[in-house]
Amino acid sequence: MEDEGELAHEIRIELERLGYLVRAASIAEAADAARVGDAAMMIMDRIVFGEDSLKTLEVLRKEGIKVPVLVISALSSIDEKVRGLKAGGDDYLAKPFAMVELAARVEVLLRRLEDLRTTKLRAGDLEMDLIEQTVYRGETRIDLLPREFKLLEYFLRHQGRVITRAMLLQEVWHYHFSIETNVVDVHISNLRKKIDVRGTPSLILNIRGAGFMLNAHA
Amino acid sequence: MLEFFRSSAVRLALAFVLATTVATTAVFGLVYLQIRDANEARNRLILEDEAAKSVDRPVDELKAAFEVRMTRDLRRIDYAALFDRERKVLFGNIDELPGIPLDGKAHYLAASPVRGERDRLEPAVFVARVRPDGNVMLLGRSLLESLAFRRIVQHALAAGLAPTLLLALAIGAYFARRASRRLTTIHDTIAQIMKGDMNLRLPVRSRNDTIDKISADVNLMLDEIMRLLVQIKGVSDNIAHDLRSPLAVVHAQLERGLESSDDEQLRAVVKQALSHIDRAMVTVTALLRLAEVEYGPKSSQFKLIDLSAICTDLFEFFEPLAASKSIKMSLEVQSPVEILGDGDLISEAVSNLIGNAIKFTPQKGSVNISVALEDGRPAIRVRDSGTGIEPAERDKIFQRFYRTASGHRVPGSGLGLSIAAAIAHLHDFDLRYSDNDPGAVFEMVARGKQTGGSISQANRPAG
Repeated sequence: MEDEGELAHEIRIELERLGYLVRAASIAEAADAARVGDAAMMIMDRIVFGEDSLKTLEVLRKEGIKVPVLVISALSSIDEKVRGLKAGGDDYLAKPFAMVELAARVEVLLRRLEDLRTTKLRAGDLEMDLIEQTVYRGETRIDLLPREFKLLEYFLRHQGRVITRAMLLQEVWHYHFSIETNVVDVHISNLRKKIDVRGTPSLILNIRGAGFMLNAHA
Repeated sequence: MLEFFRSSAVRLALAFVLATTVATTAVFGLVYLQIRDANEARNRLILEDEAAKSVDRPVDELKAAFEVRMTRDLRRIDYAALFDRERKVLFGNIDELPGIPLDGKAHYLAASPVRGERDRLEPAVFVARVRPDGNVMLLGRSLLESLAFRRIVQHALAAGLAPTLLLALAIGAYFARRASRRLTTIHDTIAQIMKGDMNLRLPVRSRNDTIDKISADVNLMLDEIMRLLVQIKGVSDNIAHDLRSPLAVVHAQLERGLESSDDEQLRAVVKQALSHIDRAMVTVTALLRLAEVEYGPKSSQFKLIDLSAICTDLFEFFEPLAASKSIKMSLEVQSPVEILGDGDLISEAVSNLIGNAIKFTPQKGSVNISVALEDGRPAIRVRDSGTGIEPAERDKIFQRFYRTASGHRVPGSGLGLSIAAAIAHLHDFDLRYSDNDPGAVFEMVARGKQTGGSISQANRPAG
């Protein structure tokens, strides 16, 4: 749902390019699609033609409809984000955003239903034990700082997906604002130094113009 | 003290005292001169009149009259005598004819011998007149008494002048103080307004005097400035608002173009365009963020937050970045320093300060973050050993989009400090710059004493 035609068009082209079936809809149409289980996920603009779509979202959630929803909005304040998430949104993206950011979040949302209860995360010979809070690369134990552990956990939970810097800030550090330095990159490179094996390609790849991706088979 | 005398109110008061003194002295002087002249004129007139009337009287009668006159003259101020043609005294209480013209007019003698006492002189007025029989009649009056009277008047006037002066001084001081107190209030208010408290207004009383009128005018001007500011801000916010979607669209289209094209030349151009659009998006995002903070959450939504914890988290977050530049980063926190506020916003403000500090500190420099309670006021400081900020630029760094000469070389929106300042303002904190020599110190200091502290100690849930 998007009231700005061109942006809707771009979102559609971008997502279709990634292989999704995308349909633009009014709030009512979207609600109906959600009720019959027609949509794997929804992208909602906060304000569609002057109407606040969060109300519809709240109604849908009350009805027990669990379809993942990404709320995009012109309102970027944390309060608005909290409202969006409270109403039942699974993620919140403020305009203006790059399409890679949107695509990355869509992919993560679509995968969210899986693997929530696992206690061990694996990528190749890297293994993370969530209960013991340990990480092994093959036989070698790797000591990570708490924040590095969280960072790695986030990557392991979203393997093969593009992870943007904004997503990491939000999910790992809970900072909901933009940071104009490359501090996230430094954290990633520190993490790489710890988990990577000398002479083999890094587990975490840089994705130009987008962010990072953990890929065991790279 | 010098400042005190330089103030226009004090100068006015001093001028008032001076004017009062001059006027009073002039009036008193005039009164004195009038009294003196009147007294002297009266003495002369009486003597001349007497002389004119008695000049024809027979000698016997004159002698009798003189005697009566002398008997009555208890104060010994009267002189009367008759001299023969040789100017020898016939009778009377003066032995020698003073050297005055015998014209029947009063003549002033500054030093005339005192009757009955040798070696004493006094001022006196004499009239000498030639009688028809050739004798000379002399009438006179000592001026000692009137001198004394004059002196009394002088003293009285002088005595009156002192209290008048004191009174004028007191009144002057009172008005100076009153005026200067009002001017000081106005000055302080204006200083605060210039510091950014645009909602303050000058005090205007109902009495509506000149200062009130000027204050009211200044207030009107401030209202107008506020209106314009809001308008300008509104315009720039609107522009930012309207730019978002087109920017996102162009960004998306370029990204798509980049992926579908194999033409290296074209790809290079598109990549460059994308990086510029990225920068524009950063700016637009920051502008909107600033607008949101400025018109955003009110303190009613504030919760109890711990500045020490927030800064510790930020320290851990930024430390690797500093380390990558070989910057030594340190942290000084006390036990919890709690305020009512928005933790995310404070994080954002401090992260802007720390990010800047790291940006502008050269390799092997140092950045220090400290949280402290100073006289009950929570304060966050970010010091660095970087280049610091030129004195000429210090006032401007908190303005929107202002970037220092050296800052132009470093990427960023130029709005970080504006956002930090707006966040500080929202929390009733001041964001200030001071010199670290070398380097910069940015400090966020609460304007008032800690609000949440003591309450929180009592109310903190157990565990």
